[in-house]
Amino acid sequence: MVQSKKQRYLFMAFCLVPTFLMFAIFTLYPLVNGLYYSLFQWSGSSSAAEFIGLENYRKLFNDDIIPATIWHDYFLVITKIIGIMILSTFFAVALTQMRIKEAPFYRIVFFFPNIMSVVVIGILWMFIYNPSLGLVNSGLEFLGLEGWTRSWLGSERWALPSLVLPSVWAGIGLFMLMLMGGISNISKSYYEAAEIDGANGWQQFWKITLPLVWPQMKISILYIIITTLNGSFIIVQVMTKGGPNNATHVMGSYLYEEAFVKYNFGYGATIGVMILVLSLITVLIMQYFMRREKVEY
Amino acid sequence: MKRKQGFWTKIGVRIPLVLWSLAVLYPILWMILGAFKSNAEIYSNPWGLPDTFSFGNFFDAWSNYNIDISVFNSLIVTGVGALLTLVMAIPTAYALERLRFRGNRLLFTLYISAMMIPMVLGWIPLFFLLMQLNLLDNIFGLAIVYAVSQLPFSIFVLTSFMATIPKSLEEAAAIDGMSPYKILWKIITPLSMTGIITVTIMNMIQFWNEYFMALIFLQSENNYTLALAIDYISNETQYTNSWGTLFASLVIAIVPVIILYAIFQRRIVKGMTEGAIKG
Repeated sequence: MVQSKKQRYLFMAFCLVPTFLMFAIFTLYPLVNGLYYSLFQWSGSSSAAEFIGLENYRKLFNDDIIPATIWHDYFLVITKIIGIMILSTFFAVALTQMRIKEAPFYRIVFFFPNIMSVVVIGILWMFIYNPSLGLVNSGLEFLGLEGWTRSWLGSERWALPSLVLPSVWAGIGLFMLMLMGGISNISKSYYEAAEIDGANGWQQFWKITLPLVWPQMKISILYIIITTLNGSFIIVQVMTKGGPNNATHVMGSYLYEEAFVKYNFGYGATIGVMILVLSLITVLIMQYFMRREKVEY
Repeated sequence: MKRKQGFWTKIGVRIPLVLWSLAVLYPILWMILGAFKSNAEIYSNPWGLPDTFSFGNFFDAWSNYNIDISVFNSLIVTGVGALLTLVMAIPTAYALERLRFRGNRLLFTLYISAMMIPMVLGWIPLFFLLMQLNLLDNIFGLAIVYAVSQLPFSIFVLTSFMATIPKSLEEAAAIDGMSPYKILWKIITPLSMTGIITVTIMNMIQFWNEYFMALIFLQSENNYTLALAIDYISNETQYTNSWGTLFASLVIAIVPVIILYAIFQRRIVKGMTEGAIKG
């Protein structure tokens, strides 16, 4: 390349510096500053910020709602992993290995909820759960199970489990496609060899498909963990706002309430630090447990 | 699999597939039908077809619930945000992919790892930062925040697209005396158009749908994006029970996404699965 060193540096700066400045101002600085805020008691007006050291963290450990919010978050993580992985694995295997003519139709339909707004999904499901008009209760009545009908989102016991279904409903398509990508990369010769050895479809699934698609499953599980811990509060905020009686508060919705409804910004930041630490620890632990020697045949 | 599958196996596999298709399509379809029903009809016949198709709910949402303003705001935020993301992401993606400099790997890793960090913590300081910059309760401020939030994903997808462009083209252009700025603008940008379009569609859907940052960073009703306006109507509906209006606004929100999905289905699917596999 015929250009002076100075020109080269100038071009490099043109490419990198403005973007990095924006990234630093609107992503890095707020994250680091969040850690700093957690050491203050602050209601928003600049004069009233008071340095209180680790007091917010002490409050965090003594706050009765915090353990419940953590449990709710992990309840959603676990139930979503189970629900999404079982269904999307089944659908992925069915659509790749069963020679179903209308497979593209299912792919297009199943994926669509993935690009719907959480607000739309949440409101739609609020109506599905609506005690008098909703599909769930009407369906139960139709089946003659009147005793099972209830105000799903209004019950402390059932509100949180009721949030799982919309999340699974909205998530299946993406993970199904990721697994389908993995399955279609598996060489046909393995199945042919298994066929000759007399392995049935079920055995082929456990011995060939599952081990060879494990990398995609691992990524899917980690992705569900990350997106749930970083985003479950959105559907909570739309559908229940943490209620009834805190029964569905997750860490993020509790942070929102403390910081932006009650104006305890310092304490909110402390909850944010907890979310950051817990999600990093969870991802590291899961990566450790799910490491598994790459299978090669 | 060579083995012939029995008739019953094929039926058995199809039952869950058909049921799940119904579970996905029926609520969406029903929401669209509900938008055309009168309120009385929603109560008497919530899950069936409407007697007559009326656009009354759409007019109500459009003029009495300020949906017109929020559609406009959402369009601005989506357009400005997507454009800004490209302006920031294309040069950086090119530099990270093609230029050799110390810290290249590190910078790339920094951007990519930001995709895995929960941003909730940053939203509190960001709130005050925007306040100081006079960008709080401002749709352009929100557009900037959106653009930066999608930077890591956009850089990630664009670098992998640019890696497929042969280096010889740039080298030839440089020998002909083309400046690197021109090479970026006249050669790299047109050649990575596939990637740029994929990234832009993904970002636009993301910005059009986004709810939580808008909830935090916008306050006055005149600045509400569509997601906030719908949430507002939904909260009102608990008292007014005007479900028809709510459904009409949901339909207004979802139609542009359906159209984009119909046109760009393959790109969207590819963009999302690749975005997820970055881990």
